[in-house]
Amino acid sequence: MRNSQITEQERQKAFESKKKAEVVERQHLHVRYHIEDMDVSDRPKRFLTAFAAILRHTNYRFALEHFIRISAKCGRCAVQCPIYTATGDVCDIPCYRSELLLSVYRRHFTLGGMLKGRLLGSGYLTDEMIDEMADTFWNCTACRRCTMECPVGIDHALITHLGRFILSEIGIAPRALVVSTREQLEGKTGNTSAIPLPALIDTLEFLEEDMKEEKGVDIKFPMDVQNAEYLFTPAVSDFLMEAETLMGIAAVFTATGGSWTISTEYFDAINYGLFYNDRILERVILKLYGQAERLNTPKILIGECGHASRSAKQYVPVHCGGKDAKPVFNILEYTYDMLKSGKLKLDPSVITERVTYHDPCNLARLGWIVDKPREIIKAFCKNYVEMTPTKEENICCGGGGGIVSIDEVRSYRTIIGGKAKADQIRATGAKILIAPCANCKKQLRELVEDQGIDCEVVGLHDLIYKAIIFE
Amino acid sequence: MQEFIDFCRGPLFRLTFLVMIFGLIRILILDIWGAVEAYRNAGDKNLAWKSAFIKTIQWLFPVKHVVARRPVYSLISILFHIGLIVVPIFLLAHVQLWKTSVGIAWWTLPYDWANYLTLLTIACSVALLLGRALSKTSRTLSRKQDYLWPILLLLPFATGYICANVTVSPSMYQLVMLTHMLSAEVIFIFLPFTKIAHCVVMPLSQFVMTLAWKFPARIDKKIAATLKKEGQSV
Ligand code: SF4
Repeated sequence: MRNSQITEQERQKAFESKKKAEVVERQHLHVRYHIEDMDVSDRPKRFLTAFAAILRHTNYRFALEHFIRISAKCGRCAVQCPIYTATGDVCDIPCYRSELLLSVYRRHFTLGGMLKGRLLGSGYLTDEMIDEMADTFWNCTACRRCTMECPVGIDHALITHLGRFILSEIGIAPRALVVSTREQLEGKTGNTSAIPLPALIDTLEFLEEDMKEEKGVDIKFPMDVQNAEYLFTPAVSDFLMEAETLMGIAAVFTATGGSWTISTEYFDAINYGLFYNDRILERVILKLYGQAERLNTPKILIGECGHASRSAKQYVPVHCGGKDAKPVFNILEYTYDMLKSGKLKLDPSVITERVTYHDPCNLARLGWIVDKPREIIKAFCKNYVEMTPTKEENICCGGGGGIVSIDEVRSYRTIIGGKAKADQIRATGAKILIAPCANCKKQLRELVEDQGIDCEVVGLHDLIYKAIIFE
Repeated sequence: MQEFIDFCRGPLFRLTFLVMIFGLIRILILDIWGAVEAYRNAGDKNLAWKSAFIKTIQWLFPVKHVVARRPVYSLISILFHIGLIVVPIFLLAHVQLWKTSVGIAWWTLPYDWANYLTLLTIACSVALLLGRALSKTSRTLSRKQDYLWPILLLLPFATGYICANVTVSPSMYQLVMLTHMLSAEVIFIFLPFTKIAHCVVMPLSQFVMTLAWKFPARIDKKIAATLKKEGQSV
């Protein structure tokens, strides 16, 4: 990663707040993202109550205990963080950020800390400390690069994850995420983009006609098929913005004779719970799983979306019966298998431009889906270049951790969050950037636009759609 | 004076050494116990054992990480750790003490090596201390113990070196020896209660990280009930 800080001018633009002063005043909170009005009384006490309740019913305590024992404050994580590398601000050092929450834990939830605090009469959680957490926990893109580099093994992303969870329990969470989630779990349409079912059906029929015209083949989006092999659920925004990705996926299923279905009752894999609240995470998982049970599909398949895939992959087993739960796959795994088995054929003469591949953190960081997409790409794109660093060590698009959905922080995302990524993309000289993730794609499009990079951002199935051969 | 030295070498050493051993065992047990509990509560027990194990080994013998990033800092830090572990355990004079008092002995460092390694450890701790004090990033992160530890660790090494290599007057020798033992004993006492505890629990970190993301099943309603938020809208 190039060690280049932003200029003073860029800083001002990146941190420019679009919030009205009176809102900040009313909410007693200096953060750049919008928040719904909440109870502002006695925040520290409510924070501690929420913290205690969470500790009581979850597994976080043992990890926090471990982390406070070993934290060596070596600062090695700092050079890994794309945010800190860009801002150079102390509050963006991963270890500093973690310490904000660890110190609250130490002071209020360990015997030694409580005694010391009582004796010295100090260290009590204050409104200012909550302000700082609310600000800096949402600067982080949850990319988990820092975790990779901590010699003693502190999971800063886990601490930020927990910090956001506690904050959200006292009403501090980005409005953009909360409003979408409310629609998804309690609204009429039941999805984060508020797409009514008739509109969805219209869209899909329209796409089917398109595909018939373009490919001369009947390609369908099967709906509510009982006993299909896969329940397919993409990030719902794909239905609005990533038609080509969906067409590519439908084409792959048609060409390979796969058995799949979309549920009309619930068709959204987005899970913002992963970014701000474990309770929400759980509810979204249960909703998704309910559809797999209703349609009796043995497998769950998530579309091109990193966080949706990771949250389903990790938390379906957690909440739906451990190893007996229905297995979760990402669409790249299916397409890869089909390619290897020879059922999927791609024309290597269609895509001639130079292409590169962006690893979504949620797919690649833990080594889940790394080489498969590369093999698919190399099967039909002859002019392929890697970014550096790449694979498990990739650099985040700059919109991770749910930040991409917060429109009012776009300048932060494209000036600071995506700075290192922009340098990386430029260095490849690629004209097509493949990013198999709804969130990454949105962020990367804004990034190339704001940074003036001449590169088209697409999903992997967008290209597959162009190159697929029907026999 | 000699009596005091004997006291430090005998009962005080035994006491502080036991404090350290039991302190470390306690922490290890607490840590493992916490992890076992968490594993029991986890809704999904399918852990990535293998990858956690590989990462643990990669950090215990961090060759890969040295070449990858911050080579100078990493190298100094690794040499420092090697010196800290090897010198006190394998120094001839220390092993002889064990032999005369407890009757056990093991392989020892050749005299010259021990000397070089001691000097190297001292140099590394000074370098790390300077690095911490001079870099803005590290300065902001540092607590008191982060500065005190390198100094404290440096003491027994420097005094040990003097005792072994420099000819001083007998009374001076006693003083240096006393400092040597007392500083080591202070280290023993504080070791389990500060960040140096990582010497025993650090190998568990990668497992802790993997396990910590395996939440217990169905916590939504329980937390809501505790916070009296049942039925509340998102
Ligand atoms: S998760 Fe990524 S953005 Fe967040 S602190 Fe770590 S390296 Fe920085």
